[in-house]
Amino acid sequence: MDEGQEREVARRSARLYLPISLGAAGLFLLAANLAGGYPVVARIGGTVWVWLLSTIVTMPVITARVKRGLVR
Amino acid sequence: MNESLHRELTLPVHGMSCASCVSHVEGALRGLPSVSDVIVNLGTNTASLRYDPAVVTLADMRKAVDDVGYGVATAELTLEVRGMTCSSCVSHVEGALLGLEGVSAAVVNLDAATARVTYVPGVVTPRLMRKAVSDVGYEAQERAGGADALDRERQARGDEIRRQGRNLLIAGGAGLVIMIGTFYDMLGPLKAFVPVWLSYKWVIGLMTTPIVFGPGRQFFTNSWRGLKHGVTDMNLLYATGIGAAYGIAVINTLFPKAGFGGEGATFFESAALLTAFIILGRWLEALTRGRTSEAIRKLMKLQPKIARVVRSGVEEVIPADEVEIGDLILVRPGEGVPVDGQVKDGYSAVDESMLTGESLPVEKRAGDPVIGGTLNKTGAFRFEATRVGKDTALAQIIRLVEDAQASKAPIQKLADWVAGHFILGVHVLAVVVFVFWFFFGYRTFFDPNSAFILSPYALGEIGVFGFSLLLSVTVLVISCPCAVGLATPSAMMAGTGKAAEYGVLFKGAEAIENASKLQVVVFDKTGTLTKGEPSVTDIIVAPGVSESVLVGLAGAAEKNSEHPLGEAIVRGAEARGVALRETEAFNSIPGHGVEARVGGREVLLGNRKLMAERQVDFSGLLAEAERLEGEGKTVMFIAADYAPAGLIAVADTLKDHSAEAIERLHKMGIETVMITGDNRRTAEAIARQVGIDRVLAEVLPQDKASEVKQLQALGKKVAMVGDGVNDAPALAQSNVGMAIGSGTDVAKETGDVILIKDDLRDVIVALEVARATMRKVKQNLFWAFIYNTLGIPLAAGLLYPFLALVISPEVAGLMMAISSLTVTLNTLLLKGFRPSVRRGDGMRAETAASPRMLTAGQPAGD
Repeated sequence: MDEGQEREVARRSARLYLPISLGAAGLFLLAANLAGGYPVVARIGGTVWVWLLSTIVTMPVITARVKRGLVR
Repeated sequence: MNESLHRELTLPVHGMSCASCVSHVEGALRGLPSVSDVIVNLGTNTASLRYDPAVVTLADMRKAVDDVGYGVATAELTLEVRGMTCSSCVSHVEGALLGLEGVSAAVVNLDAATARVTYVPGVVTPRLMRKAVSDVGYEAQERAGGADALDRERQARGDEIRRQGRNLLIAGGAGLVIMIGTFYDMLGPLKAFVPVWLSYKWVIGLMTTPIVFGPGRQFFTNSWRGLKHGVTDMNLLYATGIGAAYGIAVINTLFPKAGFGGEGATFFESAALLTAFIILGRWLEALTRGRTSEAIRKLMKLQPKIARVVRSGVEEVIPADEVEIGDLILVRPGEGVPVDGQVKDGYSAVDESMLTGESLPVEKRAGDPVIGGTLNKTGAFRFEATRVGKDTALAQIIRLVEDAQASKAPIQKLADWVAGHFILGVHVLAVVVFVFWFFFGYRTFFDPNSAFILSPYALGEIGVFGFSLLLSVTVLVISCPCAVGLATPSAMMAGTGKAAEYGVLFKGAEAIENASKLQVVVFDKTGTLTKGEPSVTDIIVAPGVSESVLVGLAGAAEKNSEHPLGEAIVRGAEARGVALRETEAFNSIPGHGVEARVGGREVLLGNRKLMAERQVDFSGLLAEAERLEGEGKTVMFIAADYAPAGLIAVADTLKDHSAEAIERLHKMGIETVMITGDNRRTAEAIARQVGIDRVLAEVLPQDKASEVKQLQALGKKVAMVGDGVNDAPALAQSNVGMAIGSGTDVAKETGDVILIKDDLRDVIVALEVARATMRKVKQNLFWAFIYNTLGIPLAAGLLYPFLALVISPEVAGLMMAISSLTVTLNTLLLKGFRPSVRRGDGMRAETAASPRMLTAGQPAGD
């Protein structure tokens, strides 16, 4: 796989995993707001942590799948 | 795709630390076109594979490995090149070197007459480089002091130990100071010796920063490189844990009112000590990992560096790898034998224990083979080189052990798969733990007086986010299955190495796993249980004839015979010290026997039919003849001057240790079966004497495999032990094929296990080593998983509602380091293993000592 293809894999997979992890983080923020009583820092910090972990979970899975798809 | 064009390759890979690294490197290499059979071994840090050189290059493979965060190790070598005169010579030499597969850079210096070569060890050798340079018209020689494979391996390991040791010194030293500063309030009278400024948060922060970005940087860079290519590994767990602890600590120090828990919840010491403990684990791994492959190093060390070659009557000392087939080599007392060969003159005793496990020195005289790497003890001799370089027995054994160590047992494939998928699962768990404690746990269970395990510090004013994050991070760190990656390969390496010490070569890790589960061992008869050559068992003389006269006549008559029975009689006569006279006349009678004139006497030797035709009356000895034949022996009738002189019975003989081996197998709970082409009566007589449980008689060679298959159909795990000559299909059909007595040309052997010596007790050695190794694998997997299994619920806060205690990230890191240490130390215990045969326990001495005569004539089928 050449560098061009790798960039393409990175672009395509980011288009998938970023919305998913941002969606998970958004859901967390929504839940925290709805539950109420959480300081702003906790809500923002929690959202960032959930986004980070969701990205870590989805990024390798989706990148690997996109790469396989492109190789085929 | 043409499979025949495919090549096999073993790449040294560095940077791997866990089972998920293994699956990432495997995945990266498998993703390349034409690459197949990829096996990555964490224990040996190698990746072996098959590939089509027309489709994929070594550079592609290196890039694939680099891309996922690891590297293919290279070595450097300086060649002294003679004959270069101009810049075109430089380009010729460079071109020749760069044309070699495995050479990644070659820089030729015309003035210094040197070529500096960067290459991948194992793919290309200095010998090939010298040849390439010589092929384009120059002479090249390795610069003196150049590192050989062993030195390079040791150097690479030393570099890693030094690197992690340096990191540990920084992280551990600074971590200790940080801990003192953090716990300043609790130092009591010791406070007088510690400056108060050490307890300031910003000072602790300043000291933590170089730890996180210095020694801890490797975790961030490696995990980022992996993430970019869609892979996650242990580094990611560490990076997330250290990064989160450090990030929160920085925020709480710089912005204490930000709501992350304030100054009471700075985790600088967590970030620092977590880094230190993880590096401690890496350092201990590097320190101990190499020790499990000591067998290979021991074998490599056997390779003598020099040889005394006698050319045109002049003795010259040359590098051992420059010896050529046909060279005459002189070996003095105390010197190593440089290559394989055949003794031409001289006499000595040679210690071959290092290769065959045979403890007694072996006598060598003209015509005897010698093995490279063995040690000459007493005398001096000269021998002709017959196998050099990669064809020597030692090179073959090293390659076989290396291949076995690079292979993967089924249990390891499962462990790797679990570990590989574990990391993502752990991150999902970390999200779940965070969300639970954020929305429910903190509100319901949090107690400001709660504390970390093994710490007097209360969690105090920590907020909901800080607390949830703390548990989430601890889950990440404690879940790291770093020891899983080492559990199986380290034990397999130790096991294959240990077996090799005793002359038992396992061709793969799967063979070890299968050998540990065996229930039935099937022995081929001829050449395996028995010596495969007949010898004299009984001598019956006619009245008035002495035994020596009978044997003398028979021996002389058969002196020129090439028939196996005739040879047995000659050997029998010689063994009895009977001098054999020359025959005055000799005539072979096909299908009947021989007639000869010895010392003026007409001697007839043959079967009953011959005697009947020549009208010699053997009625007085017929009863004895029938009794011997009833025992399955081949009886030969001898007549002198047409009068009966006596009978000589000949049969195959049991090997020295056959009966002992069978008895030991029974003690191990193994069922023994003998398979032979002999008739049932003969076969059962043999089985009785050797103690075999079950006999499969009158089996044609081509049907042996189906007999093994039938045993397997009963649900049994079957090993087949044979000499490999006509047993190949049966060896292949069995769960474990063992080729016995193969000598040192091991590469040609079929079977999963090769027993170098012709000693059936090595079957027990193989089984005991396999069982000990698999026991070790299971213990290691237990130790690798037990910390995670117990630690994860604790880290997730399962006991917090009841005990109000949480595990801090640094304690989690320490547990992981202990996990790796436990696994490697447990494996090292295997080094002290000695098979029962070598301990000499539990068996009667006489079973091992006395060869027994058997009731076999010439075998029909085997």
